[in-house]
Amino acid sequence: MATDPTLDIDLADVLQESSRLAASVTPASGPWDAIVVGSGAAGGMAAYQLAMAGIKVLVLEAGRMVDHRREYRTMEWPYESPRRHRLPPDQRRLSVAEYEFLDRPYGNDPSFAKLKKLASYAGNSFTRNWVVDEKQHPTTGTPYSWVRARVLGGKTNFWGRVAIRYGPLQFQAASRDGFDIDWPFGYEELKPYYDKVDVLLGVSGTREGLDQVPDGIYQRAHKLNCVEVHFKDAVAKMGRRLIPGRAGVTTDGVLGNKYRAQCVGRGRCSRGCDIGATFHSPTALIFPARDSGNMTLRPYSIASEVFLDPATGRAGGVRVIDANTREVMDFKAKVVVLGAGCLDSTRILLNSKSPRHPDGMGNSSGLLGCYLSEHHMGPRGSGFIPTRIGTEPTLDDGRPTGPYIPRFRNVTDKHPDFIRGYHFQGGGGSSEFPGHANDMPGFGKAFKASVRKYYPAQFSIGGFGEVLPRKENRITLDDTVKDAWGIPAVRFHYRFSDNEIKMAKDMADTADEMLRAAGAENIKIDPTMLPPGWSIHEIGTARMGDDPKASVTDRFCRLHDVPNVYLADAAPFVSGGTQNTTWSILAMCWRTMDHLKEELRTRT
Amino acid sequence: MKMPLVTRRTALKALGATALLPWLTDAGLAEFAVVQAKKAPPRLKVLTPTQYRTVDALVEAIIPRDERSPGASEARVADYIDLLLSEADAPLRKQWLAGLHALDAEAVTRFRAPLVRLSEKQMTALLTDVSRYETATKPAPDPALQVARNEQPQPPQVDTLLGDVNLPRERPLLEAFFADTKQATIHGYYTSEIGIQQDLRYKGNTFVPEFVGCETEVGKDCPHCGRKAKA
Repeated sequence: MATDPTLDIDLADVLQESSRLAASVTPASGPWDAIVVGSGAAGGMAAYQLAMAGIKVLVLEAGRMVDHRREYRTMEWPYESPRRHRLPPDQRRLSVAEYEFLDRPYGNDPSFAKLKKLASYAGNSFTRNWVVDEKQHPTTGTPYSWVRARVLGGKTNFWGRVAIRYGPLQFQAASRDGFDIDWPFGYEELKPYYDKVDVLLGVSGTREGLDQVPDGIYQRAHKLNCVEVHFKDAVAKMGRRLIPGRAGVTTDGVLGNKYRAQCVGRGRCSRGCDIGATFHSPTALIFPARDSGNMTLRPYSIASEVFLDPATGRAGGVRVIDANTREVMDFKAKVVVLGAGCLDSTRILLNSKSPRHPDGMGNSSGLLGCYLSEHHMGPRGSGFIPTRIGTEPTLDDGRPTGPYIPRFRNVTDKHPDFIRGYHFQGGGGSSEFPGHANDMPGFGKAFKASVRKYYPAQFSIGGFGEVLPRKENRITLDDTVKDAWGIPAVRFHYRFSDNEIKMAKDMADTADEMLRAAGAENIKIDPTMLPPGWSIHEIGTARMGDDPKASVTDRFCRLHDVPNVYLADAAPFVSGGTQNTTWSILAMCWRTMDHLKEELRTRT
Repeated sequence: MKMPLVTRRTALKALGATALLPWLTDAGLAEFAVVQAKKAPPRLKVLTPTQYRTVDALVEAIIPRDERSPGASEARVADYIDLLLSEADAPLRKQWLAGLHALDAEAVTRFRAPLVRLSEKQMTALLTDVSRYETATKPAPDPALQVARNEQPQPPQVDTLLGDVNLPRERPLLEAFFADTKQATIHGYYTSEIGIQQDLRYKGNTFVPEFVGCETEVGKDCPHCGRKAKA
């Protein structure tokens, strides 16, 4: 196989550091007040909050440490890599068709047997060492493109950076349309925490005064480029808004964090931002927490279950399988916080079986695993904006995210075909690779000139729609299939309903309608829905509420059944709106941790 | 090994004359890098030297040199296709090489000359014929490309760039071969330094203290799109 200097990164140092750290932390290294499972957005914020409050916390990360300097190849040109940033032949990622049509587990297909690694669709030459191997991490049931990253910082190493708040439309969605239930509290309850997250981590954006996407405390915004301004003007006439993207990226800098610098507009954030302008959990939360002296980090620590202290009936701690040595260890603490990612946190609880909790910990309601939701996506449109056809390219992509078209359905009107709504993300202008070239007919000088002519004029949008929270959309543990460490795999029971399908059709229609209004040339509409899970915005499966019979956690994300177990990720969310989830996970986690800090302070 | 980036020192060493220093401006260095890259002999893994010359002629006909920039030949797209072939599964490699052979045979049948010896006019006539149906049978674009706009280009989901032996071959062999080769050429060319820097004149992947897109956003008339500042 050809050598590829850009792919063959030397990870010896970071692997050695990870093994050394893992070996240095044993159950006898404590005591700890709290154990946090996971080091992504949820685990990172939980660890930061607790450590900064002087609480001794042990963070268990299933993967290894990350070497930012070597692994974040932020500014690498494709021609520095012989394969031009394609994966080597012994590694690949799953395609749309494979998610839809292969039997589960996906990695069982004989044609994958020869591969060293089979990644989810999010695997690429930059993320390939972070996303899990589907062969080691099987899933069963209905199709679901579940993206997982087991490495310090989890998916925040390459997240999409869109930082949007939930608003009143979404906390009280049920009151508006009668479907399912409201959240147990409203926007006012979470607003102070969004504010604090904005200030701590930095978010760029503009104040727009829209209820669908409430304003935050913004740093310098990233402006719109020419084709986006043109599109904004056109859709404004239809009463719709196109606003600058709101990005979880600091443009003016953040105080008191030596690991982060402000954005310098390189536009390569998804590869990992090597100056830490983008919010990544390690630089923004984990390292400062470590520096407080109150946090212990143990990599290679796969949490298999939360075990019960039979004497008290409370959780005693977390059972860990060392990813390398496979040694099984019980780590004890007063409190357990699960932030392993929505579905993995629920999986740990489902696997935490005892005579007292035969169906999993926190499952007396029978609802643990139910109400899985996320955002359906796929319908998209593209075209060329006339004002930039045939012009010289400008710098159009030097920013962390493109513009955002907030939800406009069922805000003030009532759509006849579906409830709830969707938003669009997209943008345009010239980017490094001229994706439109693949659709240009012909060859020769005319073809080449035509690629250049339309290069600065590209514009495209794609929708993200609310999936209704429904009890029958759920995960369970598979009876027979286990992962590489012997933990039962997640079995999906998840399908889009008529509401999502009708909404998706409307997405394609409105994309078309707006591109026409903008006078776009060569409009292409793809109405196809992507496989479930594609948004990587999974929420639910341990929903919160005040009634222990109708919910898994209370309004502070604490298990009704076992009061010293908290959920820090999106598993307790009641409904998902259309908003990208990360910023809400951070705000909710901060609120949950404030409650936990108070509990720890007053109980002992 | 890093890509053969030409530093001032290696350039001087290669030229063997420090007296040439004034000539070696940055532009001169860039030019030198291009020449050097162009002149390095291919290190072929799959293609025979004859096949390589045929592929080279074909990709240059798809994306040729013009007044703005060099074409696919100087961007070494044939070398890239050789690498793709070397890492493709055997049935796909066989299918692609059969297509190459068939197109070359077609040239001989029609013009009594192989592809490498066709005149520009003959090559255009041949490729016009084999590209007739390409718009009608274009596969849907890769959804992953649509997800994150700021990402680097990703290969198509059917992850070979050279076609797919499992797809039903609705098109005749030559049309299918042309479409596959064009896709590989587009990817190879527009990820090359020539394609990105010289042809597209891509402006990004640099440091911008403050992103300003349309200049009307900062209250000026925009020279790029012609939009006027708001009164």
